[in-house]
Amino acid sequence: MGDIEDTHFETGDSGASATFPMQCSALRKNGFVMLKGRPCKIVEMSTSKTGKHGHAKVHLVGIDIFNGKKYEDICPSTHNMDVPHVKREDYQLTDISDDGYLTLMADNGDLREDLKIPDGDLGTQLRSDFDSGKELLCTVLKSCGEECVIAVKANTALDK
Amino acid sequence: MNTMDNSVHYSAIQTLEAAAQMLMAPPNVVSSEQRRQAESVFLEFRNTKNPYELCRDILEKSSSDQVRFEAAGLIKSALIREWSLLSENDISSLREYLLNYLLRKDSPAFVREKLLQTIAIIIKRGSIDDGGRERKSLLGELEKIILSSPISQQKLACSLILAIMQEYAITVKSADVGLIWEVHFRLKKSFEALDLKRIFRFTVGVLEQIVRSGHRPEGEQALLTKQLLTIVETVLCWSHVSPLLSKRLIGAFEAIYESDTAPALRLSLNWRDTIMQPELLSLFFEIHMYVRSNPDLASPSLTCLVQLASLSGVVVSASNLKQQYLENYVNSFLNMMVYIQPVEREMLGISDIYRRLIQFFSPSMIAATPPAFLQNLTTLTCLCIRGAAMEENINDDTVWREALNKFLHSWCSVVHDTDGYSAETLQNPCIEVFNTYLHCRLSPPDGIRGLDNLEEDVKDEMDEDDRKQHSNMLLTIGAIARKAPAHCCHVLFTLLQDRSKRLETQLQLMHMGKLPISSGGELITLFEDLHWILMITGHFLAVDCTEGETTMIPAEIISYSLRENANIDASLRYLVGESTNTENVDPILRLIGEILRISAWECAALEAGLGTVFSPELSATISWLLKIWANSYLMDQSSVYSEMSAVLECAFGPGSRGAAWAVSRLAGRAATCLRHLPGQPTAADHAVRLLAMLAHHHHKHNPLASCEEFLSLVAWEASGSNLSGELRKELHKSFAIAATYAEGEVRNRLLASTMALQEKLMNIINMQSDTEPVRNMLADTLDCFIGITEGVHEVGEMDEQFLMLIGALDKIPGIIFKYHNYPGVVLPSLNLLSKSAKRMLHSVQPQNVNKFLEICNTTFEVYIRWNSGKISSVPQDAEEEAYEDICALMELICSIARSGSEHGVGDTCARGLRILLPLITPPLLALPTLAQHAYRMLRDLDSADQITNLPIEDFNMVVTALRVGLTAVSCDVSTLCCDTIVGLSNKARQLGDDNPYSLSLLTLAELLLMLIIKMEIPPDSIPAAGAAIYALTCVKPALLEGLARQLIEAFAANDPANVPRLEEAFGVLTNGVLFDGLRPHKIRFQDNFDKFLASVHGFLIVK
Repeated sequence: MGDIEDTHFETGDSGASATFPMQCSALRKNGFVMLKGRPCKIVEMSTSKTGKHGHAKVHLVGIDIFNGKKYEDICPSTHNMDVPHVKREDYQLTDISDDGYLTLMADNGDLREDLKIPDGDLGTQLRSDFDSGKELLCTVLKSCGEECVIAVKANTALDK
Repeated sequence: MNTMDNSVHYSAIQTLEAAAQMLMAPPNVVSSEQRRQAESVFLEFRNTKNPYELCRDILEKSSSDQVRFEAAGLIKSALIREWSLLSENDISSLREYLLNYLLRKDSPAFVREKLLQTIAIIIKRGSIDDGGRERKSLLGELEKIILSSPISQQKLACSLILAIMQEYAITVKSADVGLIWEVHFRLKKSFEALDLKRIFRFTVGVLEQIVRSGHRPEGEQALLTKQLLTIVETVLCWSHVSPLLSKRLIGAFEAIYESDTAPALRLSLNWRDTIMQPELLSLFFEIHMYVRSNPDLASPSLTCLVQLASLSGVVVSASNLKQQYLENYVNSFLNMMVYIQPVEREMLGISDIYRRLIQFFSPSMIAATPPAFLQNLTTLTCLCIRGAAMEENINDDTVWREALNKFLHSWCSVVHDTDGYSAETLQNPCIEVFNTYLHCRLSPPDGIRGLDNLEEDVKDEMDEDDRKQHSNMLLTIGAIARKAPAHCCHVLFTLLQDRSKRLETQLQLMHMGKLPISSGGELITLFEDLHWILMITGHFLAVDCTEGETTMIPAEIISYSLRENANIDASLRYLVGESTNTENVDPILRLIGEILRISAWECAALEAGLGTVFSPELSATISWLLKIWANSYLMDQSSVYSEMSAVLECAFGPGSRGAAWAVSRLAGRAATCLRHLPGQPTAADHAVRLLAMLAHHHHKHNPLASCEEFLSLVAWEASGSNLSGELRKELHKSFAIAATYAEGEVRNRLLASTMALQEKLMNIINMQSDTEPVRNMLADTLDCFIGITEGVHEVGEMDEQFLMLIGALDKIPGIIFKYHNYPGVVLPSLNLLSKSAKRMLHSVQPQNVNKFLEICNTTFEVYIRWNSGKISSVPQDAEEEAYEDICALMELICSIARSGSEHGVGDTCARGLRILLPLITPPLLALPTLAQHAYRMLRDLDSADQITNLPIEDFNMVVTALRVGLTAVSCDVSTLCCDTIVGLSNKARQLGDDNPYSLSLLTLAELLLMLIIKMEIPPDSIPAAGAAIYALTCVKPALLEGLARQLIEAFAANDPANVPRLEEAFGVLTNGVLFDGLRPHKIRFQDNFDKFLASVHGFLIVK
């Protein structure tokens, strides 16, 4: 398909290129979609009709990929919906600054220090694992200009 | 009673009444602490030993109904617990007291029922020793009361009879614990033999007197009549179970007894004198006419009539007896029907009477009944068809519909039984039913269908559409229509012609812009009419069956076509549209031609851009009809017909030009629908199913593979269609199937679709940019490969398609590595692997098997590399992701274990299990479906020997998982766990009892035994739990003894009185059993185990 090459975009820096259109009926469960302006993961898809001989509408239930809130929307199956570009990248954690910023190293060696330690249990676990000297790999979720660490695991790749 | 006792009882009553008041008080008046205390007062009270005097006192003196209820309950449970400690005199005086109490004192229903049940239990328990002597004298007493006492006492006596019957009726799940099932069953049989008939005759006699008295059944009298009817109903619904059946089957029978549909009335010989009396049947019909105006009474009296319609068993073993009984029954029935106009609520019972008579008496006997019998069936069916149609429009009730279903059930037998009614006799009744049904489905002026509901939003689900929902009804209507083919075929053709012309005109006007696109109402009415006419036509022409089955052209259709003896040439010319002259045209071909014309019209409308106007529902119905039609008419099975019409043979027979023409039409139709309606799930789905059915027929002459319409669909899909992943998967399955029997150039064109898919996969993998559209495409492509793996058949050594599939599977570990962060890709990858397991492991080439196992091993490693010890931030999200991945992994391991037995297979399963076990955490096991999957996998693998090959640390994880599973409250899960324990124990026995695996496994024994004793394991899992205990003890014979000692010591501290009984129970458990794992001892242990449970549950806990 030739159109793949055409879908290059500025990765999530501005809202305008952060999504692409897709026909509603071709969306997949577990895929992503914009609901009420938020990037969501589709957890439920069902169809209904406008009357017995009417045309199909798709009922979508999604969970905001950043804050876990639930959103719903309904759309004729032949219409297009916006699908967010979503990236999940792994970084090696090299340091945590005093003010709670993470120093993360990408696969190509680039460093970044613009992400804060995540809130909640994950953050606590991350800090205590780092303090005890574990090599950690952080998964960073990025979409629609938002970014945050969503998962941490011990970097077993280094053992091998 | 001394004064000391008196004052103790007085204060006990005071405490209880205060506690009862506390419990009944509104929540704002008492604190939760006070409530808890009040509850504990009752909890303690329920454990009081030897409480009979105290309870009598409470019954007499307490003013609180709740306290009296508790006292009644305590008497019951104490009796069960302490039966063996009480003297015969104590018991009989207690029974007399309770009956006397009930007769003289008015109690609320809930107290009364408890006391009645207690008396019934005393009677049943007592009959173990006295052979029913007490029961007999009590029944005598009750009969006397019913004949002569005030009406309130008569009602009470009836209630007691019912309570006694209830107590004897249920053996497998009896509330009277403490007896083993064999005793329950023996008592039931003896009750049946000695007293059931007596109760029946007596009650029927009383009812006769009431009917003859001429008084209307009103007030108290009506209540008494209802109770008498209920007694008779219970006798007639009694499950007369053969003692030769197993306990499990008897349990199933008793479950029916408790449900709405009672088992058939199967009576033994000694009932013949009673049941064969001609007056008995007419009396029951008289009773029904007497009570029918009162719904409360009409229900049991109709049930009696329904039960009497199912008389069978040795009592009517001679056919002349059966004939005579049927004659009596039908005469009384018809007699009643002359006098009454059945009301809505009676319909269900009357339809049931028909259903049962037709089910239990032979077709020839039924055909010999007076003509009014069939005429009534016809009239009542038509009445229900109309009623059901009205009901659909106005409310959610289904009374008419249910009754109609039962009538149609009867019709189904009537039209299919060859030795029943003759075709001539059935002709007119069938036309009447068919016309009525059609009438209710068409819009005015041809019919009476309402317009409601067509414009409301509806859920779009496959199992809720008309084709599914009405399928049973339509199947029978179709069969009825085939009994009068000339009439029905003509009516259907005329209607189709009329409606399709109207539709054409409308669509043409719209296309030319002379009618607004959205001129809704009339068009919708047309759609709905066509939808129904087509559904009826489909069921008339062919029999709808489960997918994958081929059915024959119905014999009535063939002989109708033969009889018409039409001109072949004229018929074929009409079919393909070369002529419009219907003269001398075969009527079946004429009908089919009309359907194909409608389909062509739809396609033309879609091509002309009217897709937004045409109904997707109607499109689906047309595809469905063509599918079931083609499934019978276009298939190569001419040899199986005993007679065949020349016209049909020429038009659609194997190798005929007509068949090839029809197949290309159908394929073209499916392609058009998919191109123009990709966003309409029902329409697209039925188009794909039509194609799948055509592709499914493997034979060299299948014209599908070489038909241009199909090949261009293949090319369209290969160039990238906009269909959803699920539909594309099904399409690729059809392509793959067609490719297995295609040859030469055609095969190459079919394989082009797989090649295009493979190319796309390679492109995506090699692509640098990793974006959302790319990942979507990847997931879709993987789904398409699932279609291929489901359709492909390995032909020869170097099957190209098979090799392409292996090529795709080989990329999976790499894909999971690259996209490990994207469940949307990982999940379809794992699914593709597990769906392919069977095909790959059954490959004739050993190198394919090895290659597949290697791919799986690498996949496991890659998966665990990225997922072990991962902690995620969004809990519900993380859980669901883990959940779906784990289910897919388990599926994969299970399909590997199921599919092969080579050495490598076991190794791969063990690897898979090792990575999986740490991921199945207790929180995940709390999810019911995951638990179900997980424990089924453990059980299946256990029989495949995989678990005992694990390292000990991993084995311990299995034991922990079993521990979690045993305490789950799901019957399925705990049974699966017990089964797994049995399997593992058998392995452990070979390893010896000091082996670490055995030691780990044996730690489960104590938990299991405690769960069993405390009844914390679901009742249906008890047999499995017994087997598990036996199997574990076989590993280490001293185990059970040790556990028993521990348990008894624990008891000695808290409840010393029960220690001897517990010791005795354990003695029973191991009595005469060798723990050798062989069948005879296993069975003996199970018997002992039942006795053990009966006695332990009898004195420890009474539920």
